[in-house]
Amino acid sequence: MEDFHSSRREFIVSATAAFLAVRPVHRQRGALTAQQIVDRLRSAIGVEWRAQSADGFKAGDPGTVVTGIATTVMATTDVLRGAAASGQNFIVTQEPLFYMPNEEPGNRAKDPVYLAKKALIDERRLVVFRLSEHWNARQPSEPVKALAAALKWTSEVPGAAQTYRIPDTTLEGLVAQIRSRLPIRGGLRMVGQPSLRVRTVCIAPGTTSLAMAVANLQRADVILAGEPREWEAVPYTLDTWSSERGKGLIAIGRMVSEGPGMTACAAWLRTVVPEVHVESIAVADPYWSVNV
Amino acid sequence: MTAQDVASRIQKKLQELGIAWRSQTVDTFKAGAPETTVKAIATSGMATFDVLRRAVAAGRNFVITHEPTFYNHQDQTTELEADPTYQAKQRYIKENGLVIFRFHDHAHALQPDPLVMGSARMLGWTAYASPTEPRIYVLPPTTLRELAVDVAARLKGRAIRMAGDPEMKVTRVALGPGYGVPALTPSFDVAVGGETAESGGNAEYILDAAADGQKKGMILLGHMMSEDWGMKEVADWVRPLVPEVTVEWLPAGEPFGNPR
Repeated sequence: MEDFHSSRREFIVSATAAFLAVRPVHRQRGALTAQQIVDRLRSAIGVEWRAQSADGFKAGDPGTVVTGIATTVMATTDVLRGAAASGQNFIVTQEPLFYMPNEEPGNRAKDPVYLAKKALIDERRLVVFRLSEHWNARQPSEPVKALAAALKWTSEVPGAAQTYRIPDTTLEGLVAQIRSRLPIRGGLRMVGQPSLRVRTVCIAPGTTSLAMAVANLQRADVILAGEPREWEAVPYTLDTWSSERGKGLIAIGRMVSEGPGMTACAAWLRTVVPEVHVESIAVADPYWSVNV
Repeated sequence: MTAQDVASRIQKKLQELGIAWRSQTVDTFKAGAPETTVKAIATSGMATFDVLRRAVAAGRNFVITHEPTFYNHQDQTTELEADPTYQAKQRYIKENGLVIFRFHDHAHALQPDPLVMGSARMLGWTAYASPTEPRIYVLPPTTLRELAVDVAARLKGRAIRMAGDPEMKVTRVALGPGYGVPALTPSFDVAVGGETAESGGNAEYILDAAADGQKKGMILLGHMMSEDWGMKEVADWVRPLVPEVTVEWLPAGEPFGNPR
């Protein structure tokens, strides 16, 4: 095990930057590297680790000694700065780091925004790990449980996965309830008549596939979606009205829908690595609207 | 004239324009018999159930749609066979003798792309098109908020979403309809399009750029608010090819808000 792992490349790139680092990394008794934390979380997550996966280290040196962990939906520059400023050098993110699912900068290889983010990671010696597929695969679903808890819904419908019985309301009333309980701005959109009577809601954060909508709207009155495609679950829900079994869809956006899940991820990580300080950093709804 | 005859004339016209019909394409008949005699044609951004009802009410039995009929890009129906909404839509198509043909890949191959032109026209931007840079429009200086208000008013959109500082200065915008929202770069201010993945894309780029003191923005019109108008252009393009029948645009409209 290396106490200070610093490759030659890193040294050259960040020789000056090391001066600027918020706090020096001191080796402490029992301190863990990012790789050791990942090894522990992999054995604790209860899901077989996939050979081909989007999850893994996305930036930084896995041999870095971790001073603290920050979980987040998206490791934006602000999140990385906030984590570094409060002493967390290991960021666990649900979504990609560099604008593309495969993390390849492509056309953005010389883009100043991309380069600035990379420089920030190098200068602050941050390590970024993506934890998405495996976190989402835990059963019962962590993102669903966490979103339900954020909405104060506790009554699961037996035999209907991810579906909750809520006090009788309308689609319009449900929208108002969601607005009051989640940090949402302009990202909320609705399909269905406002007067639709609602008793059951299926929670489907993240991308909400057609299959998810078709299967769950057999039972649930409404599907609470993250980011449904507008040629899939959206027109399907619209068409339920013409087939006279009108259902509702409320899309709240990917990041807002996954936010509570990554807060829950921080709580879980505290149990996996109790010796390390873990926080979660929220990312606000990126959207605004001129209609709201 | 049959629906197949109409499709053949479209293919012939494309060939004259130097656009070969692709062997791999989603532009196929999606429902109904191609040998059906066409009474009249409706074009639309999407063959929603509601569009089909309005087509029947207006006496149009051939629907040319830009987006899928059965809720997925390939219009695969195996997984939908037991679904009551799917069944009702298929039954309605059969009972009313409708024929549905998709015109997507080859519509985007036209120059200029009618889907871009339709939105540019609705937005009042055609005079601002950059002569050298495709999809770039150089607008009179405005702010993102002012632009958003103008866009929402012109399109009458209820679910248009913006990202970025509302007070940022805007002149250079890039327009890409549907799922083709242009990826933001240092060379323009605001990306305007239909829908895009929220992760790993413009939303993240805007947040990161802002953290570096650079102002970037995005206006997401919604898929239909960005391509429905283009199918009006397609109606205008198809009309002279089939002078024997009426060709009209039937907007699918925005799915969000209160459905008809």
